Amino acid sequence: MKKIGERVAERAFFLSALASSLITVAILVFMVFMGLPLMREGGFYQLLVKPWAPYQGAFGIYPMIVGTACISLLGLAVAFPLSLGCSFLITTIAPKPVSRVFRRLIELMTGIPTVIYGFVGIFLLVPFVRELFQDGSGMCVLTAALVLGIMITPTMTLFFCDSFARIPRSYLDAADALGASPVQKLLYVILPSARKGLLNGVILALGRAVGDTLVALMLAGNSVQVPESVLEPARTLTAHIALVIAADYESPEFRSIFSCGVVLYLFTLVVTFLARYLSFAENKKA
Amino acid sequence: MKKISWIQPLLIISILLLVCAPAFSGSLDPFQGEKGVLKISGGTAHIPVMKDAAKKIMVMNPEIQISIAGGGSGVGIKQVGEGLVAIGNSGRKPTDEEISRYKLVLHKWAIDGVGPVVNPKNPVKALSKSQMKDIFAGKIENWKMLGGEDRKINIYTRDEASGTREVFWKKGLDEGEIIPGAHVVVSNGAMKSAIAQDPYGIGYVSVGHIDATVAPVALDGVVPTIETVQEGTYTIARGLYSNTRGEPSGLTKKFLDFLFTPEGKKIIEEKGFIPVR
Amino acid sequence: MKPRTLEIFSIVFAWIAGLILVSAVLVLLGYLFIKGYTCLNLSLIFGDTPPLRALLFRARVFDGLFPAIAGTLVLVILSIVLAIPIGISTGIYLAEYAGSRIKRALDAFFDVLSGIPSIVIGLFGFSFAVFLHKQYSNRIGPCLLISSIALSLLVLPYIIRTTQAALEGIPSNIRMTALALGATRLQNVFLVLIPRSLSGIMSGIILAIGRCAEDTAVIMLTGAVASAGVPRSVFAQFEALPFYIYYISSQYSDPEELMRGYGASIILLLLCALLFAVAYGIRKGLSHFVFYRP
Repeated sequence: MKKIGERVAERAFFLSALASSLITVAILVFMVFMGLPLMREGGFYQLLVKPWAPYQGAFGIYPMIVGTACISLLGLAVAFPLSLGCSFLITTIAPKPVSRVFRRLIELMTGIPTVIYGFVGIFLLVPFVRELFQDGSGMCVLTAALVLGIMITPTMTLFFCDSFARIPRSYLDAADALGASPVQKLLYVILPSARKGLLNGVILALGRAVGDTLVALMLAGNSVQVPESVLEPARTLTAHIALVIAADYESPEFRSIFSCGVVLYLFTLVVTFLARYLSFAENKKA
Repeated sequence: MKKISWIQPLLIISILLLVCAPAFSGSLDPFQGEKGVLKISGGTAHIPVMKDAAKKIMVMNPEIQISIAGGGSGVGIKQVGEGLVAIGNSGRKPTDEEISRYKLVLHKWAIDGVGPVVNPKNPVKALSKSQMKDIFAGKIENWKMLGGEDRKINIYTRDEASGTREVFWKKGLDEGEIIPGAHVVVSNGAMKSAIAQDPYGIGYVSVGHIDATVAPVALDGVVPTIETVQEGTYTIARGLYSNTRGEPSGLTKKFLDFLFTPEGKKIIEEKGFIPVR
Repeated sequence: MKPRTLEIFSIVFAWIAGLILVSAVLVLLGYLFIKGYTCLNLSLIFGDTPPLRALLFRARVFDGLFPAIAGTLVLVILSIVLAIPIGISTGIYLAEYAGSRIKRALDAFFDVLSGIPSIVIGLFGFSFAVFLHKQYSNRIGPCLLISSIALSLLVLPYIIRTTQAALEGIPSNIRMTALALGATRLQNVFLVLIPRSLSGIMSGIILAIGRCAEDTAVIMLTGAVASAGVPRSVFAQFEALPFYIYYISSQYSDPEELMRGYGASIILLLLCALLFAVAYGIRKGLSHFVFYRP
């Protein structure tokens, strides 16, 4: 009797694992299935490079891809130096009590809801950017990227700290034995050997920046164009989904958001496997 | 004897109250004893009226649950056609194709206009139609060219599902171009708060939504107000429709009927529209 | 002396970076609280309705946050209840039963799942609802239930991961003892391993609750609306705090409504901070893995 119970339980655990992993596949299948009519019409690749002009019958998502790239890469450019500095501070530079408090604060920051960054951004940063540059409306690539950068910094910092902490003890002992100062140790021992870990953190943060919806939706102005400067408005893939979801279910506009979904999904796949590859490589070495 | 002395007046009062009660609620009467859920979505110009009507009805009868979502006219028509909501609002008349495909029944309960608006701080408060077309087409890029400050004009427009956009584009811009660099907002309310925030912005909004936070722009000398729309001098006008799939019944019908009662019309007027009939 | 300059430069750089981040957060929080603290009172939540009547669902609340708070609460409870059984059993399977090959494959799936942008999950939920509506019943559409299902998919990987990590962290001498005494594998899991790792699992669940409470992208696609009242059924549309904040930020119609947006932001922020503190109290150091969210 007991054995049957065991078997049933094991089967149940296995089935739930199977179900959870099938969901991952089901989401992609659904996106492709719903977007298929439009993709078949002109080819998936065509959609990626065509402009968006619903009245002329063009439902390409090229401007959104460019908008996403601009905002997330610029956000990363803001977040990377900040995170590097903060992780230096936590790992070696700040005195122990300061670094502990600082780390707590950063951990707490990871829990601040995204919508609150957007809310404060609209009423604080948008008018500020508008008046600072005396140009445009303040709802632009730059504003969104700044807020996004601040938002992903805490996560990125903690990832960096983790990869610093994974440096083999023996390396650090060797540096100590040679009489290196903490900063020297950081610069010449920890940093070079944590290179892959840093890259991993950057890639995961990029994944988060691309996947974020609210900040871009609330702060980037949502115009469908390829931005020519950072002070111009733009639309991301995620914001595009949020804006067009309301359209007619059978219209090509509506179908096109599934191609956005597919692009985002494929991007996630790339990010995930790149990150997995890097962390395997890092573990092998350690 | 003592007891009766206070019971009697109470009895009289309560009887009086019972007799008078219908006189108090009047237009809301049909909702008594009704219960259920009513889903409304679509046109965003309609929302203030819908909200107020829903509030009055739900205060009177807590058994009724009314949910109101935006989305735009296109969404309203589509969702009511698909049966996702009971009432789909639209700020434009549904096309013949839409009417026949979904067997829509239209209920036009107000007249509204669509007017260009700027921030109250902006000195430019009058434009000719051709100037406005040039602004939205990107040919006039700076407020200086119109006598304002030396700042870029920030253009705000609506998404593709918007009936307000369609009406403005057809009657205001004569189907002219709207540059792709225009900011996109999702509702009349969002347009109003975006223009209220941006001193160098220009957009267009349902006339009913114009208040002190934004300034209407006179078009060829006619200021878009509810009066000029009513007189017919301001021509970018449209009806506000609530659409149902087939003839409405039950709670849906009672809700729509309410919009045509004196109390419903009062709400429509308060929100800045012209009630029909 | 070039190396020296580099060292000094990195020290200065690190302090500046830290300062910028801290001041950015202080500005963010300070702005919110300075602008919003005046509106923190009972009428923010209940409007003109007497609180007690509202709490007993005797009267409806207009111009207050009560329906949004109630909506968020119901939403969170539903999604967590949906996510826990499948999440924990998957975690147990990964940690205790799976062979190394299957485990690697499943790991990859859950990494992808946790990386999918929440708006894509929302889109999935929405199209699923439309699909059900067309195929089965006219009564199904975007609603509280669909939102909860979509949200539970969003937090599923967190629960799986924390369960797995907590179980795998148990030292092998404890793992072996009960087995050596003749307990079956299942008994070992439920009587020894799970109780030992309960704090880890709990902290994962609490952080998942925080994630459900703050998410906006999923619910705005799957049934959150601006005005719906306290949810009466899982097939009804609902209000929620984060969606309310988003909605107010773009469509407030008067300063009073905007103030409620500030109030809602403060309440949501406090709620998330509280959940975070509780989770942190239960178990330290796990947080950013769980809060990593694309």
